[in-house]
Amino acid sequence: MKIRQSMDDLLAMLKEDPNVVHWHTIPERRALSVPFPESLDWRLRRTLVERGIDSLYTHQAQAFRDACRGEDVVLVTPTASGKTLCYNLPVLQSILSDPSCRALYLFPTKALAQDQKNEMESVIDALDVPVKSYTYDGDTSGSIRQKIRRAGQIVMTNPDMLHASILPHHTKWVSLFENLRYIVIDELHTYRGVFGSHVANVMRRLERICGYYGSRPQFICTSATIDNPREHAEALTGRRMTLIDRNGAPSVRKHFLLYNPPVVNQPLNVREDELPAVRRLAARFLKNGIQTIVFARSRLKVELIASHLQEINTGFDERAKICAYRGGYLPLERRKIEKGLRDGKIMGVVSTNALELGVDIGQLQVCIITGYPGNMASVWQQAGRAGRRQEDAVIIMVASSTPLDQYMVAHPDYFFSRKPEEARINPDNLMILMDHIKCSAYELPFKKGDTFGGQPAGDLCTFLADEDVLHYETGKWYWMSDAFPAGDVSLRSAVQDSFAIVDVTDRGHVKVIGQMDRFGAITMLYEDAIYIHQGKQYHVDRLDLEERKAYVRRVDVNYYTDSDLAVQLDVLETDEHGVMPAQVEKGFGDVSVRALPTVFKKIRFETLENIGWGHIHLPELEMHTNAAWISFSEDDIGRFGKDVFQGALMGLSYLLRHAAPLFVMCDQADLSVVPKIKAPHNEKPTVFLYDKYPGGIGLSQKVYESLPELLAKAREMVESCGCESGCPSCIGLVNEGRQAKHALIRLLKEARPER
Amino acid sequence: MFEKEDKKGGEGQESAVLSTGAYYEVRKERKNKLTKRFDSHFSRTLRTSLKVINVSLKHKLQLYKKQLHDAQQAATTHQKEQHEDKKKKTAKRESREKEMERAAQGIGAQIRRLDEACVLVHAERVDLKEKIGPYSAADLFHTVRAWQTGSRLHPLSASGLRCEDLLFFDTETTGLGSGTGELIFLIGFARVEKNAIEIKQYFLPGPGHEAAFYDAFLRDCRSLKNLVTFNGKAFDWPRVKTRHRFVRDQVPRLPAFGHFDLLHASRRLWKSRLDSVRLQTVESEILGMRRERDVPGKMAPFLYFKFLKQPDANLVKGILEHNREDVLSLIALYTHLSKKVLGLAENDTEETFEIARWYLQVGDDKRAVPLLRKLSGTETREGARAKTCLAKWYKREGKYARALTMFQSAIRALNDPDDTPYIEAAKIMEHQYKDYEKALQYTLKAMEYLDANVNLPKEKRNRREADCIKRIHRLDGKLMRNKG
Repeated sequence: MKIRQSMDDLLAMLKEDPNVVHWHTIPERRALSVPFPESLDWRLRRTLVERGIDSLYTHQAQAFRDACRGEDVVLVTPTASGKTLCYNLPVLQSILSDPSCRALYLFPTKALAQDQKNEMESVIDALDVPVKSYTYDGDTSGSIRQKIRRAGQIVMTNPDMLHASILPHHTKWVSLFENLRYIVIDELHTYRGVFGSHVANVMRRLERICGYYGSRPQFICTSATIDNPREHAEALTGRRMTLIDRNGAPSVRKHFLLYNPPVVNQPLNVREDELPAVRRLAARFLKNGIQTIVFARSRLKVELIASHLQEINTGFDERAKICAYRGGYLPLERRKIEKGLRDGKIMGVVSTNALELGVDIGQLQVCIITGYPGNMASVWQQAGRAGRRQEDAVIIMVASSTPLDQYMVAHPDYFFSRKPEEARINPDNLMILMDHIKCSAYELPFKKGDTFGGQPAGDLCTFLADEDVLHYETGKWYWMSDAFPAGDVSLRSAVQDSFAIVDVTDRGHVKVIGQMDRFGAITMLYEDAIYIHQGKQYHVDRLDLEERKAYVRRVDVNYYTDSDLAVQLDVLETDEHGVMPAQVEKGFGDVSVRALPTVFKKIRFETLENIGWGHIHLPELEMHTNAAWISFSEDDIGRFGKDVFQGALMGLSYLLRHAAPLFVMCDQADLSVVPKIKAPHNEKPTVFLYDKYPGGIGLSQKVYESLPELLAKAREMVESCGCESGCPSCIGLVNEGRQAKHALIRLLKEARPER
Repeated sequence: MFEKEDKKGGEGQESAVLSTGAYYEVRKERKNKLTKRFDSHFSRTLRTSLKVINVSLKHKLQLYKKQLHDAQQAATTHQKEQHEDKKKKTAKRESREKEMERAAQGIGAQIRRLDEACVLVHAERVDLKEKIGPYSAADLFHTVRAWQTGSRLHPLSASGLRCEDLLFFDTETTGLGSGTGELIFLIGFARVEKNAIEIKQYFLPGPGHEAAFYDAFLRDCRSLKNLVTFNGKAFDWPRVKTRHRFVRDQVPRLPAFGHFDLLHASRRLWKSRLDSVRLQTVESEILGMRRERDVPGKMAPFLYFKFLKQPDANLVKGILEHNREDVLSLIALYTHLSKKVLGLAENDTEETFEIARWYLQVGDDKRAVPLLRKLSGTETREGARAKTCLAKWYKREGKYARALTMFQSAIRALNDPDDTPYIEAAKIMEHQYKDYEKALQYTLKAMEYLDANVNLPKEKRNRREADCIKRIHRLDGKLMRNKG
């Protein structure tokens, strides 16, 4: 019989493990508490005491004080630091002193609103004062809706609902808008990129409506750790913010380990794939009954890890339950997993960043991060999932062989001292702005001289009047169309374009098992793909683009599939242009991108070898966006020889793709890198970096601005790599690797001689 | 769109650098194979591109006017007007005042003002004898008089009212949505007075004139306690409330309102015989009326938008005529429905049954029961349904013996498989007569019918079956105890 190993045994084992390249211990921190503020309502005081709370953490007290003083507040709070009280206390205080006060809570998802509602409910019960709090979302029934509009003192909803349901019907919400005192925005950091740019515009619309009803609500925002919480909150709300970032909550001692899988092919400097390493590590904890969460970057990886972990537990007397968790699952399925984690019925969970959000799953003991998640904000959010009660928490980041991961494990000091990234939004993206001007005009006519987000709205309104969407009359622009503008605008670009995944295994009981956005569908649900859902394999029989449905059937095969994309790129207009040393040019402007899925490979599970392939027959995706680019002289081709130069160019793209997220907060997937040996616009060898959203969201612009630093970082990465002829940790595996690597170093040196 | 890409997707892109030629080949081949029908979402982005550089918004707008225009074209589906010709531009320069006067003249309306805003009010008196379908307004007098001795409880009852208290009311809006951006641009009402029908129509000459529009209407309507509409409860009235909010500081308050919604009445009586219960359908199928040269309701917004750009009365004349006919039809329809409910017109068995059920629901048993009794004597589908209805009523009144006989009679008369009378009979047997054996028999029979009733939705069937099974268990238990 096997004897269970304790956490200490396991830690001791890890201390001996040569693959653990760095061991960072974050000491435990004591709570910084202060007595309840004098002004705190006695009923709130009593309720807190009843719940075993006899003082406040410093940040909670500060939030209460600043909010009561009328300031707009943004709080930076790590996981499990009692952030809920930070906004619930001032909100409840104001309602207790004036029951006509209203508050609007915004959460990025329905599920989070539900969680908070339950939490609020229990506080209200204890208060013994009838405060009416409700969630308002797509599932709220018609009869309750009326009650919420009339009498809801705290309304918890999401930005999508505010956008499409509440604001366009503001006349039904008069009592809310007339008395709106607080707007709480939770998980502020999730409102970045496209979604954030939309939400910032929804806030501008909200501001207009509040102004119309004569209220000026205060904002209380909470965010996970990002570099620019105040700036971000100000961009999102248009208000000056007071920042509270001194956390007074205690935390347990945490061991943060960097784990680098062993080199398995010395000549090629190829390391073991991170997946087997993660599986090994996770299995060790799970077998000993230690609750573990594993984060992985892609949905495919999540499924692969989960299905393997489920296997290792068979035959073990105490079979631990292990689940996968990611977008694409139906809400009910997710709720079940969350609950299982909270009450300990589920021992292990493998998740995408979907569980980074404040979804309530309690604290686990171990967190394993599969590969650097692309930004430090995510690292700390994921790491925050570990840290239960009095025991030490363990966080292991397993490096992949990409340049960025290898750079991080080779420079742990850099890694641990790195600031979290900035969240960027661009509310003035003309496409997005125009959508919301329409919605806003529908809600309230624009007067001549009115502003929207601080800018004059007149020009945009005139344009829309020319388009017969608005009608100008005696100094005002009125909505004059029979369309419902908010219905055409989705805050999350993927939502309205989602594909249903239909399981047709049993013809009698056809059912929808999940959903996926268009890009996901085209790269994962092409015909003959093997789609993995909750560790089960499905064969895709048919992808219906018009009906947006993928028909799948249960199968049991020993391989999975992976697709290739071909990308064509044209420059439409150059907005900025610059010359760097050695005839290297940089540019920024508008591009048209066409992506075409071409073939897919069948890859065997156990050995990861390629066992076949097939064509994908789908139309290309096309969009216009922003791009930054760097072009080399045509002479360089001759200088190094075509093959070598091509290798160097591909190597550079490989490096840039991984290094760019160091400068902008984005997922690798938000920014694409495409090398062209002969760019169509200047016929020069060029590497493009473009925003993967129509119209751009400011990422490639930031890349353009920091191009010199980016190239310097790329040079540092390639120079510091010990391999001979290129490896996955620097320039990737390219033809003529040895020469290509040298060529690239030379090119980078020339483009920026001084360090 | 291009988000959440796997690492591998990126590697695919690299292959592009080496095989641009191959790319074009694949693409050409693919193009032939596939219809280029791709989502509007993408075609829209295709035509649009924007910049996020630090150009002023105005400059940006200039740069991208074309693209945005195209995007707008793709987003809106309705046909666009031709480019503004010079003539129209001259017309625009003319004083608004002149335009307004001409428009008012065109639709035979007076201009009424409130501060800067104005409204065009068309007033008309129509002879009481004028035919409206099978009726004339004069018939309404008889109807209202008949209500004075009829049911007070009935939702259509005009008991205690005079003819001129009823306000037949209809609106035209710029869209079918319910948000704040939809305008009401035409309100029409008709009132039957002693010597004529008074028709008034309020036309909104532009979105900036709502204050005058609502002010005029609210001052003229006297009371809104007895609105007669077709779907006004869910459609017209909420929109009036929404728009009134925007001008509430300048115009009279919205008075309390009461409602006769003829949609609900029509639905009750004719749902099964009409494809859709719309006013036009009721007019043609029930009242035998026909409209000549009618402007379909869904065209109204477009004509109105056109009018706003070029205030030519001919554009909206048709809408006013449509609205006029609507309010007149309401008079005929109210008369017709009232006669049916009051028993002054001939009703077929289905109508009689629905009327009786309606009376029963509003608590006017005195009028419902005789109708049901009469129906129960007929050999019709409604006859059987009436028996069940009647039996339930007896039961409610505590007359269990009669209830049981009636349920048994309903069971005998039953043509469609319906388990209700069995269950009801079982209940009486169990709870009143304590005859568990018989109750059990009835319940088993009910189960049989449940099985045979293929039309029943699955959930309903499951629920009822579960109820039956519970009942059977309980009855079994009681029987055992009795024997033991």
